Amino acid sequence: MKNLLVVLLAMLLAACASVKKVESGANPVGDRMSITVDGNWNHLDFPGLKPAQVWTMEGIAIDELLVYPGIRDGQAMHPEFSANSRNKDFTFRKTMQTEELVSMFEGTLSRDGSTFKLKKVEPFAFGGKKGFRFEYERIRKVDGVRLSGIGFGAVDREELFALVYQAPRLTFFPRHQARVEAIAKAVVIK
Amino acid sequence: MKRRQILAAGCACCASLATSRVWAQPAESYLVPERFQRPDLASDEGGLWAMMDREEKLLRRSPLVLRDARLTTYVQDIACRLGAGHCPDIRVFLVRTPQFNASMAPNGMMQIWTGLLLRMDNEAQLAAVIGHEIGHYLQRHTVERLRDIKSRAAASQVLGLFGLVGAIGSLVVLASAYGYSRDQEREADRIGAWLMHRAGYKVAESALVWNNLLDEARAREGSEPSQTSPLFATHPAPPERRDTLALLAKDLPGGTDGRENFTAQTAPYLAEWQEDEVKRGQYAESLVLLSRRIATDNAPGMARYYRGEVYRLRGQAGDLDLAWTDYQAAAADASPQPQAFRGIGLLARQRGQKEDARQAFARYVELAPEAPDAALIKSYLEELGS
Repeated sequence: MKNLLVVLLAMLLAACASVKKVESGANPVGDRMSITVDGNWNHLDFPGLKPAQVWTMEGIAIDELLVYPGIRDGQAMHPEFSANSRNKDFTFRKTMQTEELVSMFEGTLSRDGSTFKLKKVEPFAFGGKKGFRFEYERIRKVDGVRLSGIGFGAVDREELFALVYQAPRLTFFPRHQARVEAIAKAVVIK
Repeated sequence: MKRRQILAAGCACCASLATSRVWAQPAESYLVPERFQRPDLASDEGGLWAMMDREEKLLRRSPLVLRDARLTTYVQDIACRLGAGHCPDIRVFLVRTPQFNASMAPNGMMQIWTGLLLRMDNEAQLAAVIGHEIGHYLQRHTVERLRDIKSRAAASQVLGLFGLVGAIGSLVVLASAYGYSRDQEREADRIGAWLMHRAGYKVAESALVWNNLLDEARAREGSEPSQTSPLFATHPAPPERRDTLALLAKDLPGGTDGRENFTAQTAPYLAEWQEDEVKRGQYAESLVLLSRRIATDNAPGMARYYRGEVYRLRGQAGDLDLAWTDYQAAAADASPQPQAFRGIGLLARQRGQKEDARQAFARYVELAPEAPDAALIKSYLEELGS
């Protein structure tokens, strides 16, 4: 039944979403971020995950690259995701330190009851700014699939820029990890 | 044989009718029904069982189920003491999810989430929740609810669209969405209290479960939650429920709370469950829960560390000072959480207290060299100069 729910959810999202191909090369995202890619990435635009953009290689139920192109002070992370819930949203504050930012992603990615285990967090130059990189494992509540994930981020001029990629631990994450690491290294923040 | 089955079904039906206002009866009069036979697959109840069997098959494979035989057996034994003759039909699954939830399906599958276990002060409180769920099971409330919904016009449209199998599935979803009725909740509360008393538990603890949950809901809502919270909207008014259970406890005195055993059994998981609680980001609720644990725990150092985390992450006016106090208390514990030193270091660094930050970070890295954030903390140490 849960698998069916995942499929139905994916179909529902697909029905609401517009899909466009991400061209190889540099792609401006938002006002200040540029992401250089190669390969067949698709950009899905559907309600529920803003202010992030969602890109995927394999399809939305399999892998997702969440792109945060400048989250402003006081802005909530995926507020529509919990529109029918009484849960409080996770909100970005410009004063957040790295640990708080990683905790915010932990909370955002486990708010549906999924588990989140932080494996590593370390300094990382993201978009030429002083930032961070983290690795995690997640068990998705809806279907029990084990996911691996990596995230990169930096705060610049009071805005948060970040990339988070996750995919099933077996096959899909190893297949695309190097590609995502390369994307993160090439990000430009103006 | 068939005739006997019909008779048995009839008796069960009569028993159900006779106990349909169980909450209005004197405490000693409840008769636990005989063990249930698997219903005919062609019936609505049979379809419901088949559906739950499939759910259970999936649940057995879920990585979210705790694989700790010792803890599962401990909770299963509590369910068996409460369920008595129904023990062979009850199968307990502990699921790692930080919210308060327990459920029992008509086929005997019982789920208890770790967020519920974290909120229990003792074994009697856990027995109160399990007894309540067994109460629903004994009275076959899910089937009642299913039939109630099935009789609605909207459901008949679903029947026409997807055939019987689809209809049963949709109705199960509807049944769980609607939850039990208030009378069913009252009935399950009362049966649960009797089962607790019969198994030797202190019934007064059942009122405290509700009271504690109400405190968290008040903190979340900022007001009385009965009008706004979906959970409380489908349940009897919280004060009524608490007061009824407290009155029942007077009729059913004595019993033990089993605090010592419960504390020993759950101790290995407390850090993980509190960490999951903090990640929820529902800070007002977590503060109520963790403050209660600090007040009642034998070793409150761990809860003080996690409460410090909640204050630091919430970051409202005055929170960082409160976090500082909690971290300091946690670090002074006989067996401190290494992360308490990290917390002190982070706050000291933020305040520009470089020497305090350096000492605290150094202690953290010494105690937890393999911590996931060790590389980050070492970069702070370099920045602070050694």
